Amino acid sequence: MTARFTALLLCLVTALFACSDKDPSLSKVPVPGKEDAMKSTSLARAARRAFDGAPPVIPHAEVGNACTTCHNKTGIYIPDLGFAPPMPHTKTAGISVTSNCRQCHLMQKSKTIFKVNLFEGLAQDLRRGSRMYDHAPPNIPHGIFMREDCLACHFGPAAREEVRCTHPERQVCRQCHLQLESSGLFRRTVTGQ
Amino acid sequence: MSALGRRDFLKLMGGGACGVCAFTEADELSAMELVATMQAELEAAGDLSWGKAPCRFCGTGCGVMVGVRDKKVVAVRGDEASPVNKGLLCVKGYHLPGLLYGEDRLRRPMLRKKSGKGFERITWDRALDLIALKFQESLDSHGPDSVAMYGSGQWTIHDGYVALKWVKAGLRSNNLDSNARLCMASAVMGFMTQFGSDEPMGCYEDFEEGDDFILWGNNMAEMHPVLFSRILENKRKNTSVRIIDIATRQTPTSDYADLRISVVPGTDLALANGILHLLVENQKVDEAFIAENVVFKRGIEDLEAIGYGVEGKNNERYDFKDEARASSFAEFTSFLADYSPDKVEKLTGVPAQQIKALAEIYGDQKRGTVSLWCMGVNQHIRGTWMNNLLNNLHLVTGKISRPGNNPFSLTGQPSACGTAREVGTLSNRLPADMLVTKKAHREKTEKLWGLEPGTLPAKPGYHAIDMFRAFARGDVRCMWVQVTNPAVSFPNLARFNFSGKEERAGSKESFLVVSDIYPTPTTDLADLILPSAAWVEREGCFGNSERRTQHWEQLVPPPGEAKEDAWQIVEVAKRMGMGSLFPWPEAEFHEALYEEYRKFTIGVGKDLASYRELKNTRGMIWPVVNGKETRYRYAAGFDPYVKKDKGVHFYKAKKFGEKAAVWLRPYHPPAEVPDADYPFWLSTGRVLEHWHTGSMTRRIKELHQAVPNAYVEVNELDANKMGIKSGDKLRIVSRRGSLELEALVNGRGKPNVGSVFVPFFDESKLVNILTLDAMDNISKEPDYKKCAVRIERV
Repeated sequence: MTARFTALLLCLVTALFACSDKDPSLSKVPVPGKEDAMKSTSLARAARRAFDGAPPVIPHAEVGNACTTCHNKTGIYIPDLGFAPPMPHTKTAGISVTSNCRQCHLMQKSKTIFKVNLFEGLAQDLRRGSRMYDHAPPNIPHGIFMREDCLACHFGPAAREEVRCTHPERQVCRQCHLQLESSGLFRRTVTGQ
Repeated sequence: MSALGRRDFLKLMGGGACGVCAFTEADELSAMELVATMQAELEAAGDLSWGKAPCRFCGTGCGVMVGVRDKKVVAVRGDEASPVNKGLLCVKGYHLPGLLYGEDRLRRPMLRKKSGKGFERITWDRALDLIALKFQESLDSHGPDSVAMYGSGQWTIHDGYVALKWVKAGLRSNNLDSNARLCMASAVMGFMTQFGSDEPMGCYEDFEEGDDFILWGNNMAEMHPVLFSRILENKRKNTSVRIIDIATRQTPTSDYADLRISVVPGTDLALANGILHLLVENQKVDEAFIAENVVFKRGIEDLEAIGYGVEGKNNERYDFKDEARASSFAEFTSFLADYSPDKVEKLTGVPAQQIKALAEIYGDQKRGTVSLWCMGVNQHIRGTWMNNLLNNLHLVTGKISRPGNNPFSLTGQPSACGTAREVGTLSNRLPADMLVTKKAHREKTEKLWGLEPGTLPAKPGYHAIDMFRAFARGDVRCMWVQVTNPAVSFPNLARFNFSGKEERAGSKESFLVVSDIYPTPTTDLADLILPSAAWVEREGCFGNSERRTQHWEQLVPPPGEAKEDAWQIVEVAKRMGMGSLFPWPEAEFHEALYEEYRKFTIGVGKDLASYRELKNTRGMIWPVVNGKETRYRYAAGFDPYVKKDKGVHFYKAKKFGEKAAVWLRPYHPPAEVPDADYPFWLSTGRVLEHWHTGSMTRRIKELHQAVPNAYVEVNELDANKMGIKSGDKLRIVSRRGSLELEALVNGRGKPNVGSVFVPFFDESKLVNILTLDAMDNISKEPDYKKCAVRIERV
């Protein structure tokens, strides 16, 4: 089991990163839904984040500061590099999150480590999210700050199959999908006593 | 499969072998299997809970929500309820959890072996007994000047208060200083000499309220990125907002600037005076404001008399003291005659047109002006003067203590304000801006602490640089260092036996205790190493740049036998018979300690919020009176201490008749300037990804991999002239040492022609081997930004 599994992992690694020994930063970015690519990139997604919710590191070589030229509203396919997914922060209000990309997203220039770190980050919860009953619209299982543009991740070639939206033409997502702010129940507050 | 967890899998992915192979259906199936396993792991894991805390790194004080599962921090997210960062963080904040889990965390006390080489485990009891014994022996044989404690602006308020009480009331010594001396001391002295009270009058709302943001030697996009984001958002919404970048180096901040002004290192003093000259000449000063709120002062200006702290007797003990004398607007005007645009252009390299543009901005009463600065101004041989001049610009125009109009000094450490400055863990200070040299201040402290009159010593102790000079000489025999890494952060390391070549620091007889969370070049030199609890492994409070005090609860247990710094000090004090200084319940001392400390702040305009209020809020901005914060100090309508209907009242400046002081401060040249042998300027600093000496951030994989090592930035023109390309090995040589580094040309930072820049986070590339320990004359803060080097090819 373990030997076979390790071999499989190596294949996975290859498919996810198609990396070369020379320069890790030249990795090709997978295009989900395309031929020869994984249908799910949950693992690639996890590999680029210290924990679920951390901003992903930049998985490609430095190509200048104009990140939003490719990571635009729809995303574009870049030959030999992969699909540049759209950027989900365009609708974030109140604070400039779109102008200084490298404030949050790290370029990885080295494969070395300084000292071993035993941190184990929160993994993405891939279990089915909550909904009131079968066929009811699912509730939103994650925070939406800086992810206000739902379609950036839930539609298009970059959307992982299991979270891909079947009805992108209905633009007001939160008309049907609830963002749960509390796990408590309604309690009537008695006043005037 | 169970033997192979998610982490192993990710490790394999990260360091996996390569080659091209096709993907089959079977592989897909197994990938699903793996996903299923990850899900099963999640099912098995405990519940995820979230608690609030301020970020551990810089002085911005971003709020984070900390995700905890099975007694470990597993995630953070920006706290959307925090008024500081409104949900946003920077790369360091997002990668906070990793700082706790480096494999080499210090877990047990370690004592240097008798042979002198290496360390062995000892118990806490033995370690604490030994510290008590060594400090007592030193006190008995050599008196209170022979012992010292050195901490930092990373101490929590609790740690700092305990340190202050132990050293000043227990050891009866004022040899307590912190690395805020290397960082914020010039800003402290700027505010104190002009307003009689430390810390900015404005708050972060200035970033939304202001129109013009003038950055003095301040790479905000990298050093205070979240605050810079607030300015950028203001600029996005209001196209008239301008950012002016005055600097000796082109940085990521410059990319967003409307005007970039290159200045010759150290001549910022002349530039600021040049602006003042034009404001007076063009009658852009607010005469009514000046008449009502301002006095003029002049200090000692003789270069010979002042020196730099590195020549003659100053080279061992630098105790220059400024003297104030009364001045006037007329004298101010004639003093400024020396700073005409043409003269200033010659000195600073700033075109007269740009000086005029700056004067127009400061003089425009229709627009809000915020000046921002941090280390470029503070780490300066005349840092206090430079702070004075920036405050002057706002005082003469009356653009102060109003939303969007303020001089705003930013801080680099999470509690430089809350602990070092407010608690007063400095060699001359007591809590709430009080001084050891003032009888009334000592008496108030003695009364609040229940001490006999005359207990507290009146003579200021060693400031940081002199403290370590005395330690190297042997005059300080026992030293305890907590939460900082002077063997990387001190200037001119070799003179402090900090060059990494020695096995221990100090003199032969000395005894050095170091408390930290990881092995560092400083713990390498220690006689005794103590393991500390970090960040959310203990309860605490930090105070940020905008006077906001923030509290957090302990969220996870510390590793091994690690203990919080405050506990370590109290336990030693008890063994020295000083236990009565710490009369708080042992199990739950945090609230009792804080409420005792808070008494110093009540009624003097520094009123801190109650512990209960801090627990229930995302921090509060002092003075907090009747549960209300004060966003703009000294301002009518905002500050409860101001009884006027409108305008400002500098009620803390008692010695100037409750008016602020405008100081006449001339230009002085840096301590060392480039010459034929050493033709380049060297400046040092940080990068976005690393914090301070990198002992935490370098252990976080993602941050390390973004910037793995220090390098030397060289200007493109200099590089072309010398045939240097990025990646070439260079030797940078100063009068004090040499260091090999890789060249970086046209990297994210581009130093001006004739200067180079090296970040200081890398303990294997100690740039402070090269720097000079020259200091500001008033704050005694060293200048890390200006010394002379030459470049050699290796």
